[in-house]
Amino acid sequence: MFRFRLDGTSGVPPYLQLVHQVRQSLLLGYLREGDRLPTVKDVAGDLAINPNTVVKAYRQLEHEGLAGGRPGQGTFITGTLSPATPDTHNTLRASLEKWLRDADAAGLDDEAVTALIAVARNDMRKEKV
Amino acid sequence: MIWVSWRQSRSQAIACLGVLVALAVYAILLGTSMRTAFSHDGLGGCLARSHGTSCPAAVQAFTNKFGSAVNIAFWSVLLIAPGLLGVLIGAPLIARELEYGTWRLAWSQTVPRTRWLAVKLALVTGGLIVLGAAMTAVITWYRAPMDRLTGHFLHNIYDFEGLVLTAYILCAFGFAVLAGLLVRRSIPAMIVAFVPWLAIRLVVEFLLRPNFQAPLTFQQSCTPGQCSGGVGLGFLPPVTGHIGDWVLSQPGGQLANTYLYQPADRFWTFQFIEAGLFVALTVAALGAAIWLLHRRPA
Amino acid sequence: MTQGDGGGRPPALRTVGLGRRYGHVWGLRDCTLTVPDGAVVGLVGPNGAGKTTLLQMIIGLLQPTEGHLEVFGDTSPANSAEALARVGYVAQDHPLYHDFSVADMFHLGRAMNPSWDQAVATARMNALGIPLKRKVKTLSGGQQAQVSLAMALAKRAPLLALDEPVSSLDPIARLDFMREVMAAAADTGVTVVIASHVVSELERLCDWLIVLTGGRVQLAGPADDLLAAHRLLTVPRATREAELPGPAVHRADSDRHSTVLVRTGPARLAAQERPDWGVEPVGFEQLVLAYLQRPAGTSADDPAQAAARPEPTIKAVTR
Repeated sequence: MFRFRLDGTSGVPPYLQLVHQVRQSLLLGYLREGDRLPTVKDVAGDLAINPNTVVKAYRQLEHEGLAGGRPGQGTFITGTLSPATPDTHNTLRASLEKWLRDADAAGLDDEAVTALIAVARNDMRKEKV
Repeated sequence: MIWVSWRQSRSQAIACLGVLVALAVYAILLGTSMRTAFSHDGLGGCLARSHGTSCPAAVQAFTNKFGSAVNIAFWSVLLIAPGLLGVLIGAPLIARELEYGTWRLAWSQTVPRTRWLAVKLALVTGGLIVLGAAMTAVITWYRAPMDRLTGHFLHNIYDFEGLVLTAYILCAFGFAVLAGLLVRRSIPAMIVAFVPWLAIRLVVEFLLRPNFQAPLTFQQSCTPGQCSGGVGLGFLPPVTGHIGDWVLSQPGGQLANTYLYQPADRFWTFQFIEAGLFVALTVAALGAAIWLLHRRPA
Repeated sequence: MTQGDGGGRPPALRTVGLGRRYGHVWGLRDCTLTVPDGAVVGLVGPNGAGKTTLLQMIIGLLQPTEGHLEVFGDTSPANSAEALARVGYVAQDHPLYHDFSVADMFHLGRAMNPSWDQAVATARMNALGIPLKRKVKTLSGGQQAQVSLAMALAKRAPLLALDEPVSSLDPIARLDFMREVMAAAADTGVTVVIASHVVSELERLCDWLIVLTGGRVQLAGPADDLLAAHRLLTVPRATREAELPGPAVHRADSDRHSTVLVRTGPARLAAQERPDWGVEPVGFEQLVLAYLQRPAGTSADDPAQAAARPEPTIKAVTR
């Protein structure tokens, strides 16, 4: 059975944490299409969280096309998050490492790097809209 | 709810049974010993012939032997025992729930609190009636030989035979249940209930009981100044000549020849009056407890 | 199991102007809210705020002095069998009869509750490894709390009321207790009301919130809606109340700036937002603490109540 965990101090809403954990596991290959997610009761009873939170997370996953419920049987993984192919992955990784070395040389620390990425992302999104 | 009441009273019931058994053991030992002495001394025949006047020495010996200091201490304890029994059982009934907070459990089940109390009271009251009757029966049995000499109207005997013993227990119980509800703690409630009970008990016994019905007057046939006889247990048979009469007083002083007394055949009437009084107090106290519980916020 | 959308089922709890007076002091006043079926409600407030008063009225142990109270549409008076049957209750410090065995406690439950389901109670004890023959006084605090919870759940009432249920327990026992509560909520859809003054634990447990101080409701509504309706603004110190996009719940002033928690909506915020303002969403604990710190006696007639007032679309329940 897939076990979730909850970080009470992260500031991220609990249901989003559950969604992220499923997405991450899909990316890493720990969850595959056809796997059954634990029941709402199991998750609520394991983490001591509101069952509606779990319902909300599962609904979000359904909305993203990653999971679906089968009446009487539970919720199953129905989709995959397709990361880029291994080649693309390696190319992107190489240019990322170069960029990080440049940023380090320019004197940016971890926080500044993360902030820069977030700002750039936001601007990109605004442009797209 | 009956099971619940029983289960919560179980240890008290066992303790009371223990008290009853201890009493019975004492009674059997003393009672058989009394019966042996009674027949051995030929007191039965003496009573039949002459109401005990023809064998004063034997009567004296018997009463000395079995009316000893040990017995008097026993009787003193027994005076307050019904009160103690009643308050020990009655005070924790409600107070314990309030003290320990278990009322939040007991009164949030699907049983309204007044019904909870009513069932408990019914069960425990029934148990106390049975206990009182059993204690009365045991004491009456064991005292039977002595009662043939003294009757059972006198103070220390009247209190334990007939109906009043049970009524005393019930009254103390009723006061204690009500006190427990008002005071909300068991031990203080016991005291708050016991003191008025004892006060009423003494007032009834010494002020009211002699006058439940107007006393009769007995004129002793002797010249004043040359009479013998008097008031109390030391004078057997009583001056009236009839065993079981309760001689109250000798108005006119110790050498006079008139006595006020209550005849023996009024024993049961008096028992009913006194028991009725204490039972009425019990009913009033328990009724008040139920009513107050109903009206109390929480 | 999911929060009732008003789909024909009566709300778990509906109060209108509910109040209770003790002598001259009002323990609770002007309490108006509608809690849907299946919600898990956090009832927060300092000691003496009126949590126990409200809970006891819901449970049926205390008669209101004024106002209207309905639990699943039932308006039976306090201390009647009908009122007492609606709620399973675990009181603070989970009182039990200490010389009873666990089996005895369940026997009591069976004797005093027509709706009792013995299978639920024994299944819980088996799952937790608590033998039925054990005397209550030999159990640990956490186990006793579990026995109390089992009794409340075996009563099969549609509402479960927990009054500071974990305040005396160690962290593991706390977690185990709330696990059982959440699993039961998932399983049976029971509506749960948890009274607590430990705010940090409530975020992941509750989807509905009631904040009480000084006997009055300061905030009430679905947690998500309440969070979405507040923003934490960082504004210049000189900013006046009227310039804010909503009523200020809490304000902390520094030398040059102030941090203000306001109740607002996205439209209004967009209209009034200034470039030199910082805007953040507010966290659950922050929100609750801000409302807890409002001075007692703050009027209940506050926009924060809007989510709590019964909407006209809810059908009137016949008495």
